[in-house]
Amino acid sequence: MTKHLFKLIWNKKKQNFLLMSEMLVSFLVIFAVFTLMVYYYNNYKKTMGFDYENLWLVNYNNTYQTKSTDSLNTFYDNLRQTIKSMPQVKEVSFCSSNVPLSQNQWTGDAHYKKIAIGVDHYIADDNYKNAMNLQLLEGRWFNKADANLKTKPIIISDATREKLFGNETALGKMIGVEDGKFDYKVVGVIQGVKARGDYSPAKPAIYLRTDTGSYSSLGKMMVKVTPDADAAFEGKLYKTLANYMRDSHVEIEHMVNKRKSTNLFSLVPMIVTLIVACFLVINVALGLFGVLWYNINKRRGEIGLRRAIGASGQSVSSQLVSESLILATLSLIIGTFFAIQFPLLNVFDLKAEIYIVAMILSIIFIYLLVFVCSLYPGKQAAAIYPAVALHEE
Amino acid sequence: MLKNYFKIAIAVLRRRKFFTFISLFGISFTLTILLVLTAFIDKVVGDNYPDKKRDRSLYVSRVSQTGKNTMSSSPPSFYFLDHYVRTIKTPITIAISSGFNGTNTYVNNKKIAVNYKYTNSEYWEVLEYDFLEGKAFSKQQVANSDKVAIISADMKKEYFGDVPNVVGQYIEADNVKYRVIGVVQNVPITSYMTYSDIYLPYTVAKDGDYKNNKGYQGGYYGILLANSASDLDKLHNEYEQMIQRLKPEQKEFDRVSSHADNYIRSYVDTGDDRHSGVFIVVTAISIFAFILMILPTLNLVNINITRIMERSSEIGVRKAFGASSSTLVYQFIVENIILTLLGGVIGVILSFIVLQVINSAHLIANLELSINFMVLFIGLLVCLVFGLISGVYPAWRMSKLNVVTALKAQ
Repeated sequence: MTKHLFKLIWNKKKQNFLLMSEMLVSFLVIFAVFTLMVYYYNNYKKTMGFDYENLWLVNYNNTYQTKSTDSLNTFYDNLRQTIKSMPQVKEVSFCSSNVPLSQNQWTGDAHYKKIAIGVDHYIADDNYKNAMNLQLLEGRWFNKADANLKTKPIIISDATREKLFGNETALGKMIGVEDGKFDYKVVGVIQGVKARGDYSPAKPAIYLRTDTGSYSSLGKMMVKVTPDADAAFEGKLYKTLANYMRDSHVEIEHMVNKRKSTNLFSLVPMIVTLIVACFLVINVALGLFGVLWYNINKRRGEIGLRRAIGASGQSVSSQLVSESLILATLSLIIGTFFAIQFPLLNVFDLKAEIYIVAMILSIIFIYLLVFVCSLYPGKQAAAIYPAVALHEE
Repeated sequence: MLKNYFKIAIAVLRRRKFFTFISLFGISFTLTILLVLTAFIDKVVGDNYPDKKRDRSLYVSRVSQTGKNTMSSSPPSFYFLDHYVRTIKTPITIAISSGFNGTNTYVNNKKIAVNYKYTNSEYWEVLEYDFLEGKAFSKQQVANSDKVAIISADMKKEYFGDVPNVVGQYIEADNVKYRVIGVVQNVPITSYMTYSDIYLPYTVAKDGDYKNNKGYQGGYYGILLANSASDLDKLHNEYEQMIQRLKPEQKEFDRVSSHADNYIRSYVDTGDDRHSGVFIVVTAISIFAFILMILPTLNLVNINITRIMERSSEIGVRKAFGASSSTLVYQFIVENIILTLLGGVIGVILSFIVLQVINSAHLIANLELSINFMVLFIGLLVCLVFGLISGVYPAWRMSKLNVVTALKAQ
């Protein structure tokens, strides 16, 4: 039976070639859309890694002119005390300007033995974990005693641990940052932070502790507040900061809003792609429907003859539906050949599972589309009366 | 003859309404998406408010220093623009402005996010902002570090509410009170070199970066205005020569690069000479447009072939009476172009509606998209290309029809 259908398709290869190329291109477009969707969904269902509710970000720039690091430290320690003493403030932390959900990114290398990977570099102080509510998986966060340690401590994210150490334990290992020296000791592992919004993956990251000279190059403060902190309090906090750091610019942002705008930036292209893909699919569906319908009208004689020698309406319509499904199969085989190159050549640095899930979804989608489009023409064909059809010839 | 073709085309379109609908749907929606895209690009790179003298301006948006494996790229510093660029001999006016930065201000326990920007006084000569009231700050006011501000219309509404006149009043931003001396029409944020809510003299900048930073890199943009458009080539070359003479600031770098380019080039400047921003943007847009157009085109070809085969008897008769293949191909292509133009009209109406929706959604502040002649012209071009491409192959197939089979088919 299938062999016979192939023959029928081959006989009309010229006409079918165009239909097939249309299905092929739609498969590739749908594949791209599904890959994007699966990728986004995969990232979305993972935890954010930090708590953005009631977390405020203070942007400032260090303008305190002094040569002595001690007076610089005192300057910022006093500021911390002042803010921390406000009743609405739970925690204050100074950190490098590449805070999560900002456009600012610091990337660099991390080495272990011969492995080198690209990571996000963060500089954070002892209170960072509590301000951000980071999830500690192993070991500990930085503390005051670290200042006197001989080897510098470092905290890594779970993605860094997986890439550098695989199944080995990470705690206590010496790793290198930037240059070839392995002089940082891993003291803790945290759950990775999705720094580029809900729909992006948590990139491998390392956290270095602020040291005595760091304050001159830091420019961000994380302030965790209680839920009842309102605009009036924000105004008060702003005045306190601006009056204390006379020459600095001060800006307070809410991490909740930053998350919204970051997500919007990833969602808008996604929504546009979806709308475009939707229209393309409707377009293709209508086209397929029209062409199949016309084909059946042209084959009335053939169908009438089949009905006359005893084929049931059911078998006629199933023949037409399976003919189009075979056409779809042929174009899907070619399409899959192209699609499989993406995981094989690792084009966009995505996991192979994402491509495979997307591929399966788009194959099912195309089959469904072709099936639905050929259902009605098939039914029409089944309704052809042999007497009428043969009389026309 | 054309009139005849037109009549036939309309008759054919009315015969199979379903196929006509499919064709028109495909054409009009593709065109809608392309038109919206064009309107967006046209607005972002083509809108010349407030820099109306683009034809004699060059823009400096980046300074890069590259070494073997390292690269540092950022907007130039104030010192770079004020010191090195001023050595150029061609007479120019240099507008210098910082990138916009954010701060807050609190009015009646309400928080207002404010973007501010520092400029020199020449900035207001080079750029022609529309002043709704007041005027720009003068050279003298800049030299005196007067705390004066020019604000955007949006800022005025948000900070002062609906009042007719605000010149002379004070606005507080970044914990400093500035006297408002002018209100200008809004600029969309996509024009990142000229957008801001508040414009301040550079001498009031708290961080003093304009006098302390003697390096090449900083956070300022420069616009070089020549006396006439014919000076631009000379100016461009002189700028390149000036850059050639600069030595890298640190040992790990071996080259300094920076360009004074026209608006579009500097808008997408990546700072990396090996990967031109214009090339990346053009490639990305072409790939998107190609993918977008290939499916509807294939679809249209499919439908067209189906329709032609339906008309085989008509073609057979015309051929039997001596019509040449080229006449038939010509006729069919004209018919197809009529169809696409019809789809084009629907597409323009659809995109008009879509643009209204986008504008009212306020996705990007102050970005008012509209259809202008440029956009319409591109739409017409797309329609013609569409009609030709999707018409040629079916027409060729049709002209190859054998007279006998064509006549017998009915």
